[in-house]
Amino acid sequence: MIDITLTINGEKRQFAVNPGETLLELLRREGYKSVKKGCESGDCGACTIILNGRAVTSCIVFAVKADGGTILTAEGLENDGKLHPIQEAFLEEGAVQCGYCTPGMEMATYDLLSHNPDPSPLEIKEALSGNLCRCTGYVKQVKAVKTAAKKISGEAK
Amino acid sequence: MSRSQVTKYLRPSTPEEALTLLRNGGKSARYVGGGADVARTLPGDVTTLIDLCTLNLSSIEESAESIVIGATATLNEVLENRSVANVCNGVVAEMMRKVGSPLLRNMATIGGTLVSAHSWSDVIPLLLVLDAEITLYDGDSRTMGLGDLYASRERFANSILTSVMIPVSGPGDYAAFHKFSRTAYDIALLNCACYVHVEEGRCTEARIAAGGTPRLATRLPQVEAALPGEALSDETIERVAQVARDTVKTADDRRASGEYRKQLIYAGVKSCLHEIAQRLEGGQ
Ligand SMILES: Cc1cc2nc3c(=O)[nH]c(=O)nc-3n(C[C@H](O)[C@H](O)[C@H](O)COP(=O)(O)OP(=O)(O)OC[C@H]3O[C@@H](n4cnc5c(N)ncnc54)[C@H](O)[C@@H]3O)c2cc1C
Ligand code: FES
Ligand code: FES
Repeated sequence: MIDITLTINGEKRQFAVNPGETLLELLRREGYKSVKKGCESGDCGACTIILNGRAVTSCIVFAVKADGGTILTAEGLENDGKLHPIQEAFLEEGAVQCGYCTPGMEMATYDLLSHNPDPSPLEIKEALSGNLCRCTGYVKQVKAVKTAAKKISGEAK
Repeated sequence: MSRSQVTKYLRPSTPEEALTLLRNGGKSARYVGGGADVARTLPGDVTTLIDLCTLNLSSIEESAESIVIGATATLNEVLENRSVANVCNGVVAEMMRKVGSPLLRNMATIGGTLVSAHSWSDVIPLLLVLDAEITLYDGDSRTMGLGDLYASRERFANSILTSVMIPVSGPGDYAAFHKFSRTAYDIALLNCACYVHVEEGRCTEARIAAGGTPRLATRLPQVEAALPGEALSDETIERVAQVARDTVKTADDRRASGEYRKQLIYAGVKSCLHEIAQRLEGGQ
């Protein structure tokens, strides 16, 4: 086992991990169940998290690699029981059906909006291109990201 | 997928140390760049992983002749880099946007991409036509053309790829890339890249490569030879695209037939050269 330190959703924690373990496996066993297990091969985006500020598929990242790093999962979006504007927007726009892809989509959105506060529809589609959804037609997600962008820039004013 | 056979995950701080660790580990040891390929397709007999991202090789620097990209720079760091954006009308970023998704590009490294050398890689054909060079470390450092590396039998052996150099471009340098895939996110059925140098309206030099034929990308000398001395007129472009269709060796695999790939290489070369011709007209 290897000892690593991670700051997850603002909380600094230590873990003993197996050398071949992925971040997906570690996060789920530690109770961060918003991080979904889909394909486990980097194809579907269900396991998307923010690692050191950028969205990655946690199923193809070795846990040891993240040592000393900062992680945000969908659990960390919520603040004192209040949903994050991205979460609100996904609900309001009806972008959630079964919900399996939703945490991953929201984390990809988080990365996009933190680097590009006013993305075009094409930029939104590109940002979500690694997040597959089996239920919706993606139209509502694109709308939700736009709405989230408005909510966040409105808040910033 | 279980990776429970892995007993060691090592984080060296110098290339010397990494090389020693790999030599000591023999067949059971493997380097890790971003780990996107390693984590997905780890052979059962690999028990030691040696991470190269701790070697401090991720900077991107511009010199007078070239942009030097450290091997562990991620594909998105390359995509977003300002110096890289100046190479041939921003063609590198344009290509990178077609590699997987941002989620992949935030992890996958340029070194891992060139070493894994997937036959359908989008990165390799473009870097071939941009005349990229790489530096390998195996106790000593040596620099060679990317094309020479793939042509050589040994390829990487135990070496560490430490950096990639892309020549800076000047006036008259143009390049374009085209990927054919079933969806924007899928890997290529075929891809191609073209570079031309144009002086006084005529092409003086051309480099063209195709990948996913379905073999690993290579330059296409017969197609390249059809361009020097010519202006990029519709007729020239049509003729060069036909040479590509008639000379490039293609084959069937589960993604596409060789016959279909012949049509794709025709359409790909045509679309790359048209894009360049439009830029020339627009004076960009
Ligand atoms: C979901 C998904 C979609 C993809 N889509 C595309 C696509 O559309 N187009 C495309 O071109 N590619 C695509 N790829 C391939 C992708 O580009 C490669 O998997 C990735 O670039 C590998 O980089 P890495 O740093 O993660 O390599 P790793 O997995 O870390 O390493 C790959 C290999 O290279 C070796 N290695 C790594 N770094 C070095 C080094 N510096 N020196 C020596 N050896 C080294 C490792 O030992 C290993 O054998 C996709 C991959 C995934 C997972
Ligand atoms: S579970 Fe990670 S991308 Fe599908
Ligand atoms: S809502 Fe069901 S997978 Fe997207």
